[in-house]
Amino acid sequence: MEIGTRISRSLKVGWTASWVWGMYKIPSWVRRLRGIEITNEELSPTHQRAADLILDLALDLRGVMIKLCQAVATRSDIFPKEFIERLKQCHDAVPPKPFSRVRQVVESELGKPLDAVFSSFDPTPLASASLAQVHRAQLLDGREVAVKVQYPDIEGIIRTDLANMRRVCRVYEFFDPQPLPLQPLLVELTRHLAMELDFVREADCADRVRELFSDDPHVKIPEIYREWSTHRILTMELVGGIKITEKSTLQEAGLVPGEVLQNLMHIYVRMILAAGFFHADPHPGNLFVTPRNEIVVLDFGLSKELPEGFGLGLFELMFSLMTFNESAMVRAFTELGFRSKTGDTSTFVAIARRMVSRSDTGAFEGEFTEDMTDELFEAIREDPVAEVPSDFVLVARVFSLLSGIAHSLGSRANILQAMSGGGPNR
Amino acid sequence: MQTQLAYSPEELLSSHTYAEPLIANGVRCHGGFDNNGVYSSPRTLARVPAIAAWQAQLARDGAPLIEIPRALMPPQYPNVAQAKLLLQNGVREPLVRTLTVISIVEGFGAMIRDVKVPELPSLFVEPIDQTALAHLSHGLFEAHARDESGYRDEGGHKQMWEAARDAALENPKIPGDVLMRLMGRRGRSAPPKAAFPEIGEDLERMLGFMANVLIVEVFAEGTFEWAMEVLSDPDISAAPEEARDMVRNIQADEKPHVDYLRTALSEVAARTINTVDGHKISGKVVVDKLLHRVLSQMTRNRPSDQREDLKEGLADAMQAAANPAALQDEFEALESPWTAPEKTGFEFADHEG
Repeated sequence: MEIGTRISRSLKVGWTASWVWGMYKIPSWVRRLRGIEITNEELSPTHQRAADLILDLALDLRGVMIKLCQAVATRSDIFPKEFIERLKQCHDAVPPKPFSRVRQVVESELGKPLDAVFSSFDPTPLASASLAQVHRAQLLDGREVAVKVQYPDIEGIIRTDLANMRRVCRVYEFFDPQPLPLQPLLVELTRHLAMELDFVREADCADRVRELFSDDPHVKIPEIYREWSTHRILTMELVGGIKITEKSTLQEAGLVPGEVLQNLMHIYVRMILAAGFFHADPHPGNLFVTPRNEIVVLDFGLSKELPEGFGLGLFELMFSLMTFNESAMVRAFTELGFRSKTGDTSTFVAIARRMVSRSDTGAFEGEFTEDMTDELFEAIREDPVAEVPSDFVLVARVFSLLSGIAHSLGSRANILQAMSGGGPNR
Repeated sequence: MQTQLAYSPEELLSSHTYAEPLIANGVRCHGGFDNNGVYSSPRTLARVPAIAAWQAQLARDGAPLIEIPRALMPPQYPNVAQAKLLLQNGVREPLVRTLTVISIVEGFGAMIRDVKVPELPSLFVEPIDQTALAHLSHGLFEAHARDESGYRDEGGHKQMWEAARDAALENPKIPGDVLMRLMGRRGRSAPPKAAFPEIGEDLERMLGFMANVLIVEVFAEGTFEWAMEVLSDPDISAAPEEARDMVRNIQADEKPHVDYLRTALSEVAARTINTVDGHKISGKVVVDKLLHRVLSQMTRNRPSDQREDLKEGLADAMQAAANPAALQDEFEALESPWTAPEKTGFEFADHEG
């Protein structure tokens, strides 16, 4: 990456960070001099403005900044709700790179001219995201494929952006007596980016999930063509389908949205709880449904292996939640690695009570709702829980995304049914 | 004296006062003991007399109470002798897995509270007030759900089975594939077709679910006997009495489940159902066909499929023994062959095969 670009990116990050910091600190100092404490309600407009500034920066710089905003938007246990709501809008869709640059990457990675591998290659991408874009193509033997191509220079951009963010964090932690825990977030982001940039790993993950569902007629994972794939490009079977959130199109194809959702929930419950290995990015752009009622899962860049026993622990937590068993929930929280500041489990009792109290209103009957994840993180943020296991955060993000899909489909999934191995009508 | 036949949900969910609570493996569970140390099941203060009253009413009306023949009950695999043999040879994983699966499956019994109960009175020609049927969504399903999975600060059967396992086998490591075995199999076959589209989807689904649970609960008797015999053997169990008593308590708790389900299904069988197209159909035809269907599935292919499914894992686990081949031979010699009876006892002339 050019030195000018690097300096420009660093300056933009530094300027925004300083501005946001000042927005919080200067009014707080002024108030303190007057002997008045600032309240959470009074901070709400500041949170809103700060989130707007960060979102603008992300849309300008893209790459890691987009990923960082997405990561922040999943941490309602740390950040105020104004940040979560605003940064949730930071979608992964960005304008594509010119085809000439994409062609360079493909030819350099495969060591051959484009037409020595593909009989056709559509210069207009099917999709473009923060790290790569996907083109439709045809192999010389006639097979239709999707080719995912990493952006040129993306590794350099990521290195620069991560270094900038680390610097900003260090300065922030130096000046702020009670800093938010941003370093662990950066560590997590760095780990995830490394995973997402390795397309050979992504191919391995896709193969692993395909094997896991080899006996399930409702799951379709596109084949990866290893011969035409490298660390930076991924050539895979092109599979068509209806975007999972397009309810009316699903219905026109004779599919029942509630059944689609129940199948989807079963797939994720099986990956996360039973296999302990899962596709961690179920946003609607990665999920399609074929007219044969198969759910197509795409993009295994962010796939995650859970520690041994973690799936069973999550099962216990979800099961106890769905069956209103507070004491079992508290045990599950502890076994999963949640820690309270005081070491007292009464915090978990309070969280459990807050979550299961929903049963009194008859609000859910074994169903999984978006509110449930929100309720958990809200309760954790308000109570003195010192440590939320990072594996749990990623899982919670998955369920939050699934809940969003449920919302779009106007359906609810019965998670007990999904956990018992049942799809719809079983 | 007039017998009470109508109950509020609160009454059906009410429990006795216990002199001592049931604590299992450090977890407060439901139920408790009286001053004489006798175990009393949870939520049975009114539920047990209520079920007895509804059954007496059925008898007065000359309607028979459904009986699921015990001869149809497939044997437990591995059987008692085989299970003991494995434990004596240090092969614990299959038993730990089986007991864990039982605990989880028991917990899933809570799904009964999610069963959609249609507006029943309009679906029957005869009145249904003051019957078990009228109380399904007014306390009976909820009590059943709470018994199975626990509720609030009390553990249920799930936790009680875990306690029996952990006491007898000294907190064993849970095999990592337990959940995969539960969630992993999803057949390519379509869900069963409606047997009676004319009674409406909700009613058939509810009755089918009840028939299924009733048969599972009746067949669970074999599991209780198996577990008590294995876990109470002092040669292989670290807590023979504690583990046996825990399973016995679960067994006692399950009796009201069997009783209310067979009562309610018998009440349906004694009535006439209004069909969605304005005709009528005998409740007995519907109930018998649903029971026949479930019994056929559970006694014909399922036991052998489950056995085949378990065999591979058992063979792998036996490799941990000092002499796997000898153990395998001895294990197979203890096989107890079983063939499902030809008839379920619920056949009707027009039933499917």
